[in-house]
Formats: sequence, C-alpha cells, structure tokens
Amino acid sequence: MTPVRNWFRAWWLLMRWNAASSKMILPLSLVVQIMLAVGIVIGFGFLAPVDDPATALRLSTGAPTIQLLTTGLVLVPQAVVAMKQEGSYDWFRTLPAPRSAFLAADLTIWTLISLPGIILAVVVAAWRFDLDLQLSFWSPIAAIAVAAIAATIGYGMATALPPRVAQLLTQMLVFVILLFSPITFPSAALPDWFAAVHRVLPMEPMSDMIRTSLAPDAFSIAPAQIVVVLAWGAVAAIATLTMMSRRS
Amino acid sequence: MLSVRSVTKRFKRVLANDRVDIEARAGQVVGLLGHNGAGKTTLVNQVVGIAKPDVGEIVVDGIDAIAHPSRARQRCAIQAQANVPISGLTPALAVELVGRLRGASKSEVRARAKDRFERLELGDWMHRPTDQLSGGVKRLVAFAIATATRVPLVVLDEPTNDVDPVRRRLLWQEIRREADEGAAVLLVTHNVNEAERAVDRLTVLDRGRVVASGTLGQLTSHLRNRLRVELRSSPGATPEAPPGTEVIEAREGLLSAMVDAADSERVLAWVREAQDMGRIETFAIQPVSLEDAYVQLTQDAAEERERAA
Repeated sequence: MTPVRNWFRAWWLLMRWNAASSKMILPLSLVVQIMLAVGIVIGFGFLAPVDDPATALRLSTGAPTIQLLTTGLVLVPQAVVAMKQEGSYDWFRTLPAPRSAFLAADLTIWTLISLPGIILAVVVAAWRFDLDLQLSFWSPIAAIAVAAIAATIGYGMATALPPRVAQLLTQMLVFVILLFSPITFPSAALPDWFAAVHRVLPMEPMSDMIRTSLAPDAFSIAPAQIVVVLAWGAVAAIATLTMMSRRS
Repeated sequence: MLSVRSVTKRFKRVLANDRVDIEARAGQVVGLLGHNGAGKTTLVNQVVGIAKPDVGEIVVDGIDAIAHPSRARQRCAIQAQANVPISGLTPALAVELVGRLRGASKSEVRARAKDRFERLELGDWMHRPTDQLSGGVKRLVAFAIATATRVPLVVLDEPTNDVDPVRRRLLWQEIRREADEGAAVLLVTHNVNEAERAVDRLTVLDRGRVVASGTLGQLTSHLRNRLRVELRSSPGATPEAPPGTEVIEAREGLLSAMVDAADSERVLAWVREAQDMGRIETFAIQPVSLEDAYVQLTQDAAEERERAA
C-alpha cells in the first residue's frame, strides 16, 4: 500500500473510532451549543442595547465565531487533557498510524461537532434581529477553516502544556473569548494596546473571516488577517505533531 | 523478536531502568515481574516508542526501535495498563478498526476476533456497547484489541487485572496461544503465582535493576530443597513458628515459613501436635513457589542496597 493510501486508510479508521466515541458527548455538546447560540444573540442584548442594525449585524455574525472558538479552544483541549490523564492519549500513540492522520481524524470530528452550533447561531440571529444574511459558497468554507484551525490551536495547547496549565488556560480563554475579544464588538472599543495585541491573536481575524463570509457587503477581511489565522494554524499543527511524536 | 540491551532511563532523580537486559524469542512468553514502581511500565513504554532510553539498545523484530520507533510499532502491539478508550464502540468494532489499522483485511480481523471472543466466552458481549461491560470484560476486550492481528511482538501490561477467575484461566490459555502461533510475548505482571503457569522465562526487576533472569526452574533451583509451611489459627492470635524454620510472613491468623526438606518430618510432627493441642486450625506443607523465590529475590536486593548504603 502506498504511503498516501495508507495515510487515508489510517485517517478513515481513526475517524470512525473517534466518531463512535463522540456519540457520548454529542448530546451534551449540542446542549452547550444551543445555550451559547441563544445566550450570545439574546443574552448580550441585556448587557448593552442592540438598537441599531449595525450592532445587530455585528452581534449576529460574531456569535458563530464564539461558538467555534469555544469548541476549539475550550472543549477540544479539555477533551485532550482528559485523554492524557486517563492514559488513552498514550495508547493511541502506540498504534501504527501516522501522527498526522491521528490529528486529522480528531480535527475532522471536532469540526463536524462544532458545525451545528454555527448553523444554530446564524438561525437564531436571523430570527431575533430579522436579518438577511448573504450566505455563499464561502460561508461553509470559512466556517470549516475556522473550526479546524481553532481545534488545532486547542490541540496544540493541550499537547504542549502540562495538563493543569492547559485546563486553567481553557477556563481563562472562555472569558477572553466572550468578553475581551473584538468579536461581538468592534476593536475600536478596546484600548489601543489591547487592540494591537488582538491583531496578532487569532480571535479577531477568525471572526472577521466568518462575518465577511456571512455579510460581505458590510464587512471585509485584510490579507494580513488571513495570514495571521493560517500562521496560528500552522504553528499549532507543527507543535502538536512534534509533541505527539516526542518520546518522554 | 525483542532484544533489550543495557537500557537505562532516568527521570530527574529517579533511575527508572538501570542497564536492563531482556530477550524474548518467537514462541516464548517472557514474564517481567516486579513491585509497583520497579520500572516495568517505563521499560514497556520504551519498547513501544513513547519513551526513549538515555542509553541502550532495543530491537523489535530486527528493527532498531530507538532509531525507527514508527517502524517498530508496526511490528508490536501493546495492551497497556491504562484502559483503552472504547466508550461508544462495541468490542467487535474496536477490534476491527485496530486490526485494519494494522493492515489486515476486514474479514480476516472479524474471523480472528470471533474465535477469540468465543474462546474467552465473550461471544454475547461482542456487539454490545462497551458502556455495558464490566471492568474485567473491558480488560479482555483490550487484550483482543492488542491481538487483533498477528504481530511479531505482543506486550501485555497487567492483562489479568479485574478479570474473574474463570476467564482469567481462559486468558492465560489465549496468551499461551499467541506464543504458540509464533509471537514473542512480553508479559508484565505482579501476579506472580498465575504468571508461573504461562511463562517460559522470567525477568525480575527491582528498583529498575534486573535482579534475576531465567527459566522458572533456574529461578527456583536454589529453593529446590526447601518446603513452605503455612499455618492458620483462629483470628486474634498469630500461630507460633515451628522451631528451626525461617519465617516469611506472620500476621493475625496466619504464619508462613520455609523449612529444609530434610527437616520436614520433624516439622510435620510438630505441626500435628500443635493442631491436636488447638494452637493451629489448619496447615499445609508444599513445595516452594515462584512467589517465594520472587519475594526472596526482592528481599535480598533490598538487603544488598541497605548494606551498600
């Protein structure tokens, strides 16, 4: 069997394993996604009035990104940390499969798991604010890219950091994503230094990717932002694969 | 199939493995015995390529496992001490996916798994969700996963943990079968008495060092002229040791001691008298077991360490 065919075979078989395992967490994940979708779109309106179409559109197009980032940067690392702590992460590493196929299989499943949330967030927002979002060919591509890259970063965190540090970081990231990232509000609302930090962090460019794919007339994304997102994905993937191959 | 030479592994201040040598040939079950923390699992992790020795050589089926861990992994399968993450799968599906990952065809893996599950009396559990399985059955499923296909080296880390006595016997037979079919089996256990039945050779690790290695006969040869006396009394008292015996264990209600075979008739007479007088309730005099040899080896190693200190 050629190495490429062997890789795809390993990816497919590991994906089937992960898909079967995920059946257990799928209902809970869906509940969390529903609560997040409703919470962001409706709950954020209690914090600050959503009294103009521009704010409504920003909130609605930001909600899907929060869904994807919460799954990728919080749920994924928590699941990987749990795997490491119970020993199953090491067991997977003893299987004769390329590390990249293992990572790709897990990312595929996590990406699929996070997709209902994004659809839900768009539907809830469209219903709540009576918006006409311009879904296009790019909308699912942007969603899949952001979901996969966020999950890769989460994976990188969980594999590179000691379990307790990774877990603490995920707790902190929930607040950073929800309250301190220019996703549901413009970066102009932040102090200059913090806005500058967000230009090199992945959250803002990821949200711009998603919102541009949903409302291209109202938003745009600069090529530099796409580079930032891809760079985070590449560094996280390299770090993860290096850590997965590392022998203690 | 497996050759471990002078493997040394240190974690900060702990010397987990100290110049360990182990050899397992095709068709052999080699037992690796040792207390908790003796360095057994560290050694296994180095064999399967998730840990790397500081010094030494590990060869799996002709492949240098230190230089080429992924190639070595193709040739060995492990049942790790930690449970396999099979939640959400059925035993049959878990075995099939791993078997196919190892390059076997679907029909080949299914046929092998069916036979295996039937011999382990697990046929009824094959297609049930694993969440309905007990800890012992999950352990047996992990064994079936590790042996889903034929590989040159099978590493089993405490395979009998949580398994009921009846299926444990079946499992020992299956382990023996793996070797008979041509695999080298490295069996890590602290279940000394049961390992005695299945292994061809043994290596005893103590604090990372090999303190003994050889066949069962070789490891117990120095105790060939010794017998073990076990006395039981009613709770509340410890039986008195017969004169001229070497006490191994003494606790409430039980005393174990060693005696020279030549002295056994005198000891037997003493024990019978003690029983007649009501000082003990039951007794047994039997040949020395591997467990006795193992306990003595590890005690000797501890004494040697104390002298050196």
